[in-house]
Amino acid sequence: MADNTPCNKEFKHLLGCLFQVLVKGGNLFYGWMSALFCLLVIGIYYLIPQMSEGLVVANMREQVSWGFYIANFSFLVGVAAAAVLLVIPAYLYHFKAIKKIVAFGDLLAITAVIMAILFVQVDTGRPERFWHSLPVIGTPNIPDSILGWDIVVLNGYLLINLVVVMYMISSTYLGKEPNKRFIMPLILLSIPWAVMLHSVTAFIFNGLAARPFWNASILAPRFLASAFCAGPALMILIFQVLRKVTIFEIRDSAIFKLAEIISYAMAVNIFLLIAEVYKEYYSDTLEFAPMIYLFLGLDGHNTLVPWIWTAMFFNLIGFLLFLIPKTRKNFMTLNIGCVLIFIGIWIEKGLGLIIPGFIPDPLGEIYEYMPSRNEVMVAVGIWAFGAMLYTLMARIVIAVDTGKLRHPSAAPLVLDDEEGFIARDIMSRGVLSVSPETPIEEVRTILVSNKISGVPVVAADNKVVGVVSETDIVFGLIYQEPHLVETLKSIVMPRSREREEKAGNVAGEVMTSPPITAYEDTPLTELTQIIAEERISRVIIIDKEMHPVGIVSQIDIVKSQGSGRSVKPGIPHSGSYF
Amino acid sequence: MNQPFSRRKFLKLTGAGLGSSFLGGCGNGFDWESFFQKNFQEMTSAEKNRVVQRLEKKYSGHYGMPVSVSATPARENTVFGYGLDLSLCVGCRRCVYACVKENNISRDVQIHYIRVVKMAESERNLEKADHYYSPAKVPEHGSYYMPIQCQQCDNPPCVKVCPVKALWQESDGIVAIDYDWCIGCRDCMAACPYRAMKFNWRTPHIPKNEINGETHFLGNRPRVRGVVEKCHLCIQRVREGRYPACVEICPAGARKFGNLLDPASEIRMALNHFRTFKLKEELNTQPKFFYFFSLG
Repeated sequence: MADNTPCNKEFKHLLGCLFQVLVKGGNLFYGWMSALFCLLVIGIYYLIPQMSEGLVVANMREQVSWGFYIANFSFLVGVAAAAVLLVIPAYLYHFKAIKKIVAFGDLLAITAVIMAILFVQVDTGRPERFWHSLPVIGTPNIPDSILGWDIVVLNGYLLINLVVVMYMISSTYLGKEPNKRFIMPLILLSIPWAVMLHSVTAFIFNGLAARPFWNASILAPRFLASAFCAGPALMILIFQVLRKVTIFEIRDSAIFKLAEIISYAMAVNIFLLIAEVYKEYYSDTLEFAPMIYLFLGLDGHNTLVPWIWTAMFFNLIGFLLFLIPKTRKNFMTLNIGCVLIFIGIWIEKGLGLIIPGFIPDPLGEIYEYMPSRNEVMVAVGIWAFGAMLYTLMARIVIAVDTGKLRHPSAAPLVLDDEEGFIARDIMSRGVLSVSPETPIEEVRTILVSNKISGVPVVAADNKVVGVVSETDIVFGLIYQEPHLVETLKSIVMPRSREREEKAGNVAGEVMTSPPITAYEDTPLTELTQIIAEERISRVIIIDKEMHPVGIVSQIDIVKSQGSGRSVKPGIPHSGSYF
Repeated sequence: MNQPFSRRKFLKLTGAGLGSSFLGGCGNGFDWESFFQKNFQEMTSAEKNRVVQRLEKKYSGHYGMPVSVSATPARENTVFGYGLDLSLCVGCRRCVYACVKENNISRDVQIHYIRVVKMAESERNLEKADHYYSPAKVPEHGSYYMPIQCQQCDNPPCVKVCPVKALWQESDGIVAIDYDWCIGCRDCMAACPYRAMKFNWRTPHIPKNEINGETHFLGNRPRVRGVVEKCHLCIQRVREGRYPACVEICPAGARKFGNLLDPASEIRMALNHFRTFKLKEELNTQPKFFYFFSLG
């Protein structure tokens, strides 16, 4: 985002502003968009022969009548459904860091649904007859046809997400408080709708008795589990790109939350796969053939074997990277895991799910399928189109959420932090400190003259090594009288940990060490928790090098309530819905 | 639309925009009247007549010979059934090609409504079938032949899954397709346990002098690319009281056909005299297509 000038002069300039948001950018933006545009043009070039000659340019045939397009379709429906993984923590559990970015999940859902619809369109033999499936003007076969239902559910999901995003963005643009009674039901509806969307898509395949490979009741749960891996994996990657190339802030805690969800979903996914393989393997009926074809090859036909084992390997490595907290919280390994899982699921749930359904065919014939160049390039074109669409939509959302795109008469955007106060907002700065060698007498003077109850002890390298509080000084005076110590322990801020009775003449000898510390971005809720659990009066705020930058004492917390950076009514917060 | 993709066509299509290539599948100009044509099941008889007349004119012009299109409805008290005597079938595939000729089926790419597979005498597993047997002479010793085509199910999965009601069961039991309504999604192909559904991967090609000019709207009228088709028991023949082409051509007399509701029909005779079975009966598709071994 090279152009940072506020774009809020007049309402009639909205289109102009929108135009600027959409077309003005740095070299990275232009490079990215032109590369995608080239891929889109290539896709269209390869689509033309299909439109004029027919689907004969694809490698699908009578035996394998669905292929690469439908594989991408079922995968993308999963990506779309996974947007609920942001909506649930944001609105059911009020996880603030995710609430800020839930719009980007909705945009992903919109993009994925549009791409899924495009994949179905390029797969149908008569795309111009799509209106036959619509109510009133067409003759949708509802309730019988699951594909008929899927058209309804898919378009409904698109509509819900479009309405939610557009409503939220326009209220922020106009500086109006969104009407929760209107929008909350829609947001909540999107949760079961996403589950329904993906289940119904699974049911298209699941309900066909002619295809034993799909005709397993575990298919819909498998669809959901794998969707909840691939979707968030893509989101984690997108979020990191967004916060790198835009001014929009996305917290690590949101990304790690998604990563955690992936680890659960992947565990379920692998379990369900094992359950299915076991059932087919142990019962060993003729219906085992498609699975043998997929994993081992059948009668010398083994096109899919290297693909599925690649997917299995990627999924397993990805799962391990997400399972181990250390690799899940390291961005390097986290990103490798995301890429592995995305590709792994794309193979497993794409070609690995669709093609074996047709092999062997109902009359026992084996026709080996791999997409033709036309199919691959058309698919590349659709993916490029999706990426362009997402980029442009994300630019609009970011411009609105950061106040760059705003109605001229709307009140200025309050860049409020949705997580409420963090240490930085309420801490006392200009921290006084003492060294370990400072005499107790001097410490006492500092406490008394500054009316504070404790002071951090800082070593020569400016690192915090401890705290001397009033209590420490009193304990130092009475340490030889055990009954007084006991009494004092029970009435004056008794600590959770056992304290050693120490005496001495300098700060280093009486201080409490190690000190209880927190970082500048630690939320207030966490600070109060620390104070309560550790039974202390203050938390030293340090930077990454352990240098003291501030103190949050109980009185700072008391002061923060009802004053300071509170939210002004009537003005939506930045970067979030509510 | 069979000529290879040329530079000229590329320019024409890109020039006219993707939209025209999207819609322009029918050749010379876009036919709005057929674009807005209703689902056959929803047409009044007047509308059916009008559509039939338009189609007759269009087909006759295209093939340079009179092509009639009928919309003859099902006869009352008639449900067609089909019997196949596996003891008599010699695997000559004459039925396959008689069907192609009768039903104006594409020769290039080839589509066959009937697929005859060869099986070892002790074998019942279709996965062991030979689809491409090609000896100098049939029948071969130790083998039997199994022709498979649309089983005209009473509980047809293809009809159930079709998202647009382009497939339905007529009152005489024939599972029919409106080729002008099919969107080409191929869900029916995935749903059919008999591989009966065929898709026109490209514009069907039939030499002009080989066109069968007697057609039915739900049967052998010329199709376009991008839609499904399948055996309809030669609806243009059986509704006029004739045999399907495959029954007529069979040199071994292995094919039996008739009205299941008529106790004197040939098919009822077969059902009464032989122990018949249905293909993949466990799927509950309830075929009206019966297999039996009349000898031993």
